[in-house]
Amino acid sequence: MHVDQNAFFASVEQAANPELRGKPIAVVGGHGRTVITTSSYEARAKGVKTGMAIWEGKRTCPELIIVVGDNKKYTHTSTGINEIFRDYTPEVEAFSIDESWLDVTHSLSIFGSAENIAYQIKARIKHLFGITCSIGIAPNKLLAKLASDMQKPDGLTVIDPDNVSRILEQMPIKDLCGIGRKMQRHLNMMSIYTCGELGRCDEARLTRKFGIIGKRLKDMGRGIDSSPVVQFADEGDVKSVGHSRTLERDIDDPEEIRRFLLQLSEMVGSRARRYNVSGRTIHLYVRYADFFSSWGKQSTLKSYINLSDEIYLAALGILDTVELEQPVRLLGISLRNLKHQAEQLPLFEEDRKKLFATQAMDIINDRFGTMSVTFGSLLPGKENAGSRVIPPSWRPDGIKSLDVM
Amino acid sequence: MTTNPIRVAVIFGPGRTIKPVWFDWHNRKYAILETTYTWIDMKGSVKRLHFAVRDKGCLYELTFDTAEQTWELSGLEGG
Repeated sequence: MHVDQNAFFASVEQAANPELRGKPIAVVGGHGRTVITTSSYEARAKGVKTGMAIWEGKRTCPELIIVVGDNKKYTHTSTGINEIFRDYTPEVEAFSIDESWLDVTHSLSIFGSAENIAYQIKARIKHLFGITCSIGIAPNKLLAKLASDMQKPDGLTVIDPDNVSRILEQMPIKDLCGIGRKMQRHLNMMSIYTCGELGRCDEARLTRKFGIIGKRLKDMGRGIDSSPVVQFADEGDVKSVGHSRTLERDIDDPEEIRRFLLQLSEMVGSRARRYNVSGRTIHLYVRYADFFSSWGKQSTLKSYINLSDEIYLAALGILDTVELEQPVRLLGISLRNLKHQAEQLPLFEEDRKKLFATQAMDIINDRFGTMSVTFGSLLPGKENAGSRVIPPSWRPDGIKSLDVM
Repeated sequence: MTTNPIRVAVIFGPGRTIKPVWFDWHNRKYAILETTYTWIDMKGSVKRLHFAVRDKGCLYELTFDTAEQTWELSGLEGG
C-alpha cells in the first residue's frame, strides 16, 4: 500500500486556517525567497506549479494567497500520520515527509482487507489532521505508488494482479517511480513511450544501453518489483550527515559565505556528535544564483572528525580551491565516510579543552534548543539557526529526523 | 510578532486532550470558537504544544511551554 498526502504543506495550512480553505494558496519557504514549494489543488487548477516564482504564480492566478510554510507543523503531522500507519502494520517505510509504503500482507487476517485498512487510515487522518490522502493498493511497491498517483485528491485505487498488464499497456513510462526526465528521454530515443513497450523490449538491448539496470527497467515495464518495504530501523547505517541551506538572498561576500559555512558546520557537527558518528570525508555543495549551475567537491582527511570547527576548516579548504563564478544561492555540507565512534580523550591539553567546551555547548543546546550557545562569529547574524528545508531524506525518527525551522 | 505571555483557560479532557476555551490579551478576553490545528515541537529538551485557534475574526497561535507551564500568544492573523 502506498499513501500520498495530497498537496501536503498546502493542505496542512488550509486545515490550520479556515480562511484559506477552498482558496488557491501557495506555500513558500521563507519571507526572503520567491519560489513556490507547493500549492493547493485550487491553485493547481488555475495553472500554479511547484517551482514557479511568486510573480509567475500571481500572474497565472491573480487571487493566489502566499503562505510562509511552517516546517514544524509538517514534521509533527507527518510523524503523527506514520504513527497511525503503525497501528495497522509494523512494516512502514517513510519515503519522504508526505509519502509512505505499508506492507499489510500480514495484517489482513486482523483487518479483513487492504481496502478496509485504507478507508480506516483515510478517516483517521481526516479526523485528526483535517487533510486528505490518496492511497494505492497493489501487489508491490512500484504498482502501489503508481496506483496512488492515479486518483488525486482523496483517492483510493486498487491494482488487481490480474489487471496489471492491461493497466500498464498504455501507461506513459514517466508515470513509473524511478523514471526521471533523463531516463525518459533515453527510452523515447529507443522508441519506448509506454510501460507496455518497455516490458516487451529486449532485455539485452536495454542492458547494452543502461548496463545492470536494464533488467530492472524491463521488470518495471512489466510491473514487477521485488523490493521490500524497509522500516527505518532496518535501513542500515546512515552513509552521511549533511545540511544545506537556501540562503535568504544570493550572496557573494566571502565573509558572509564563510559565516554560513560555519553555521552549517555547527549543524552537521552537533548532529554527528549527538549520534556518536564521525567522518573522514567532507563534501561541499554550492548552487549558484542562476539556480541551474552548481558544483560539489569533497576532500578526505587523515583522521575522523566531528567537531564543528574542524568540519568548517575542511569545508573552507575545499571552497578555497574554487573560484566562485556567480553569487551563491545554496550551500550544503555533508560529513561522509562515517564510523561510529566511542569517545576518546585527546592527548594534548588544548585539544582536551576544545572537546570539553564542545561537550558543554552540546549539553546546553540539547537542553535549551539548537544554537542557544554558539560561535561568537555567528551571533550578529541576520539568519536564523536550523534548516528551513525538509530534505527528501527526512524520517520521523532517528538521525534523519533533523531539527527544522 | 514578538511572543506575549498570556492567561489561558483550558479544559483538560479524557485521552490527554487539551482544549483552550478563552484567553486574555491586552486586557481583553477572547472566546475561542474552534481549535483548528494542534502540533508539537521541541525547543531543546522542552516540549511545546501549539494550538491554532480562532475567535469571531482572527486566527491565533497559542503556545504552551510544558516545562515552564506558561502560555504565549505566538501568532496572529487577520482582524
